[in-house]
Formats: sequence, C-alpha cells, structure tokens
Amino acid sequence: MQLSILLITLGLMGVAGWLILRAVWATEGPSAPKTINRTRSCFLWGMIAVGVVISVGSLREWPHTSAADDALIVNITSGQWWWETDTTEIPLGQQVEFRVTTEDVNHGLGIYDPDMNLVAQVQAMPSYTNKVVHTFDKAGQYQILCMEFCGIAHHDMTYDFEVLEQN
Amino acid sequence: MSATDVYSAESGPNPQEALVKFTMLLGGVVFLLMMVFGLIMRVAQGDLISLDPEMFYLLLTAHGAGMVGSAALSGAAILWFFSARHLNLRSSIYIAFLGLFLAGVVLILGSIFIGGYGGAWTFLFPLPAMSGGLWEAWAGVMFCVGYLLIGVGFLLYYLELGLKIASRYNGLLGGLGWRYLFANNSTDVPPPTIVAASSVLVFNTIGIVFGAAVLAASIVNLLLPSFEVDPLLAKNAIYFFGHVFINATIYMAVTAVYEILPDYTGRPWKSTKLFIGAWAAVVIFVQAVYFHHLLQDVNMPAWTMAVGQVVSYASGVPLIGVTVFSLAVYIKGSGLKWDLPISLLTLGVVGWGLGSIPAMVDGMVSVNKLMHNTQWVPGHFHTYLLLGEVAMAFGFAAWLVRDKAVTTLSSLDRLVFRAYVFGGAGFVLVFLWSGASSIPRRWAVHYEQWQLQSQLASGFALIVVLATLVLVVRYVAGLARRSQ
Repeated sequence: MQLSILLITLGLMGVAGWLILRAVWATEGPSAPKTINRTRSCFLWGMIAVGVVISVGSLREWPHTSAADDALIVNITSGQWWWETDTTEIPLGQQVEFRVTTEDVNHGLGIYDPDMNLVAQVQAMPSYTNKVVHTFDKAGQYQILCMEFCGIAHHDMTYDFEVLEQN
Repeated sequence: MSATDVYSAESGPNPQEALVKFTMLLGGVVFLLMMVFGLIMRVAQGDLISLDPEMFYLLLTAHGAGMVGSAALSGAAILWFFSARHLNLRSSIYIAFLGLFLAGVVLILGSIFIGGYGGAWTFLFPLPAMSGGLWEAWAGVMFCVGYLLIGVGFLLYYLELGLKIASRYNGLLGGLGWRYLFANNSTDVPPPTIVAASSVLVFNTIGIVFGAAVLAASIVNLLLPSFEVDPLLAKNAIYFFGHVFINATIYMAVTAVYEILPDYTGRPWKSTKLFIGAWAAVVIFVQAVYFHHLLQDVNMPAWTMAVGQVVSYASGVPLIGVTVFSLAVYIKGSGLKWDLPISLLTLGVVGWGLGSIPAMVDGMVSVNKLMHNTQWVPGHFHTYLLLGEVAMAFGFAAWLVRDKAVTTLSSLDRLVFRAYVFGGAGFVLVFLWSGASSIPRRWAVHYEQWQLQSQLASGFALIVVLATLVLVVRYVAGLARRSQ
C-alpha cells in the first residue's frame, strides 16, 4: 500500500514538474496563446472535479473502521516511555479494537508487522481513550512503536506482541 | 508623507532596505546553521557518528524552532520591503518587531542549550511540563515566553501593516480586493503585494492569538501543575497556530515573485479577479485545513476529518491552478534572462507547488493512517520549505545585492543553483521514500534497516549545506561590495 502511495505521488509530482518546467524553460519561444485563460479555467474545473471524485470515493466508506460486536478488545496504556497491554497474543484473522490511552503526555501507537511495515496507528492522548480497529492477516511478531515525539526516550518506546495462527 | 509619496520601484532607494538587508543576513546565517543541525541529525540517524539522544532532541527542537523562525523572519522582511513600495511604513515598528524577535530567539536558544529544553518546536501540551527529567520547568517557561515575544512582535508588525493598508485602501476589505471581487468596484484595486499582505495579516493574526493562548496556558501549567487544559483542545490550538504560522511564511515570501518577476519579463503580475479570489480562498483554506494534523485523533468529530481532507486538496487548487500556472504563463515566451535571483525565486514557486502534492496525499484520512508521523511528513514540508520558502528567501537576498550589469548565470551561480536543486530534491525524495518505508519521524536512533536512507539523505544534505554556504557568502560579499 505504501509503495503504491509513493509511486502515485512521485508520478503526479513528475508530471506536474515536467509541465511546469516545459513552460518555464521556454522563455525564448512563443508566449502563451490567447486561449490560455480558457485553458486555465478548464484546468481549475478539472482539479475541482477530480477533487470531488477523490473525496467522495475515499470518504464514502469511513476510513476509521468501527469494531464488530465480536471484536477482541485490547486495552493499551502508555506513559514515558512504556506500553502496557491486556495481552501479548492475538489470534490471526481476529478483528481487534485497541483502546489506547496515556498517563502523561501525547504518544502515538504505531503497529508494525513482522516486515516492519506500519499497518495501523492512532494517537494516545491523556484524558482520552482512542480506538483503532485492525484485523491481522499475517502471523508473527509485531511491534508497537511510538509515533508522537514524547521526550528523550521516544525512540525506545517499543513493545512486542505475537499474532498467532488459531488451532 | 502622503500615501502617494511612498517609494516605488522607480523612485529611488527603498527606505526599509537597510533593515531588510540586515534581516536577510540574519535569516541566511540562521538557515545555514539550522541546516547544519539537520545534517548532524541525519548523519546520526545513519549511524555515521555517535550522538547522544539527548543532544539529538535538543538539535531537533532548535532545528524546528530555528527553521520556522528564519522562514518567518525572511518572509516578514520580504513582505515589509515590498509593502513599502505601496505604503508609508514606519521603520520604528519594524525595529521593535526585530528587537522582540531577537529577544525571543535569545530566550529560545537559552532554554534549549542552557536549560536543556527538548520538547520540539510544537511544544505539544503537556510535554513542556513533563520532561521525564530532561529539563526543569523554568526552561519550558523560557521557551514559551520566547515564542510569546516573537508573537507580540508579529502582532505589532501586522498592526502597522493593517493600519496603513486600511488608511490607503479605504479599509481592510479594500486591501483584500474584495470590493473589486464581490462588488465589481474597480477603483483603486490593490496590487498583488497588498492583497497578499492583507490576507496574511488576517489569518496569521488569528493564528498567533490562538498560539499565544495555548502558550499562556502552558506557562501557567508549568508554574502551577494543578492547572490543566484539555489536551485535545490544546492540540487543536497548537496545530491551528503552527499550520497557519508556517504557511504564512511562504505566503509572505511569494510577494518577492510578484514584485521581482515583472522586472525580468516586462509583464506585471496583475490583481485580476481570479488572483483576488484565490487569495480569498487562501484566507479560508489556510485556517480550515489544520484539521488534517488531527486525523489520528479519533475523538475529533468525523466532520472535522472530512473537512481536513477536502480542504487539504482544495488548498492546492489556488496554489497550482493560479500561482504556479500564472508563473509559467508570465515566463513563457517573455525573453527572460536567467540569473541567480530569478532562478531561485522560480524554484521557490515550483518547489512550493510540487510540495503540495505529497501534502494533499497525506491529507487523505486513509493515507494518513499509514503515513502520519512517518518521514513522509518532513518529506512534504521540506519540499515546500527547502525548495520553496527558503529558495525564495535566498532568491530575494541575491536580488537585493545583485550586480545590475550582470544579467546571466555565472559559472559559479549555475553550479550553486544546480547543487541546491540536486541536493534539495534528493534530500526530500529520500524523506518521502523513508516515509513509504514506514520509518517514523523524530527518532534519535534508527534501526539498522533504516540507516541506508539516512546515509543517502546525509549526502544530499551536505550538498545543500555547501550550496547554502556559498549563497550566504555570496550575499555577504554583495553587501560589502554595495557598501563601498
């Protein structure tokens, strides 16, 4: 998923950069045609239309998934610089709702799969419980890393748990 | 002096020039120093040197505050300089602004390097009061008071701009150009710089007031820990302030493009209805978009996240569809001769526009779940700062000390410009790649599998630092030459 995001972004930046530079470098060529304002209007309306399509397409199904009734609830508490959870073993394929809070400053719960790809995250805030829902589709050892700067040992604020195949 | 007596590009020296030149010198030197801090951090993450994590986070805090401060200072100097072409601004106000700014910088540097404050430039509540033993409460107070002094300076600066704009253009609505836009009143339409100045002073004043409120609350919390603020409310105020303030730096700096580019193309940048409408949209968008910083704070109402995503995209429309598009149209076929100032200014607009693309992508809730607080974030903001605002600032500085007899890129200028673009582009692309590799931001120590990217980034950063060093030396030499 992240690789797709990167490639799409670089593709858009590359095309936009090429179009801009092509015009900018043509200082000695002909000026923009008289129809340039119409071209710009089409471009602006095109950007707006694309924006509407992207917005509707990406928000129609709300990205922050709600937990099903049979979801496993895992409570996570945090502080400078530790994580504490109900369990360190989660069944493969089981939908899990993590309920995350902190006893001191803001932290960020980042869940990393065995290949160290970030698969889900949510902020941990004092006085609040934030929920993030995820279904694990790969067994192995996962890590929780802190994603919000929280002081001198921010980079040491890690925690391991296992996703196990169900017998 | 009446409003019609103010300086114009053809009427002799700008009365603000000496102050602005001094400011750009300060800004340039601090930019360079902060880049060196950034280089040290990337080298440490690449495990090429051993750096104590405590020192890393001090450098991180200084780098963030210093870069935002330098961008704000250089942007303010640019806007002041060109506003003085249209308004009779008082130098005493600028001196007060600069004095408060420098006093704030002294406090911030003292809090970091004497007090050990390492809570990052975003001072996310209640971190300033909960250091885990790294710094004492007084250091946190000192940091916050430093910010407040800078904020007071900016409020003075905007008050002067606002008063003079209102006086000259029959109220702030006149300065914004809204009478022309909405009532079709085409008498005394403000020039682009005044439209930009009016817009920035509106949204940045609001942003600074929110910032001041949460800073004051943080100071009270530091002194009286029993006083608490709702952390989510504080987070909203901090990100509102932070987003508006850093974006204001670019919106101030772009006035250099509006004013300088016509000297090269012979085509004035015009206050059309589209231009004024785009700025009107910016006034709204730049304030409404900050919700995209809170997409992983799931206790925020869902509508705020939808607004954050939609406005993130919408913010790119006036930038790419109006500013970048206009730049290309004004330049194409103009016969423009490239020299260092106009090359850097053009780079600034192009980098700003391209940097908005990964920002828009990260503004999507579904993408943000995977990219938030990874190195994707510094990837996009370094694109529109390093290759945007900073490029504009150095372009303006080079223009200030230009040799009017030289109308081409010298070999050295060409080399420096190419090195800056190559190093800067490589640096930000590695950040984006690192973000896509799930590497978290603001980590003092990187796992072994992340170190290659940090090492590559260090190489690119070194090239940028060397190019910037030449730009600063070139500016100092230009100042010395012109003072003779």
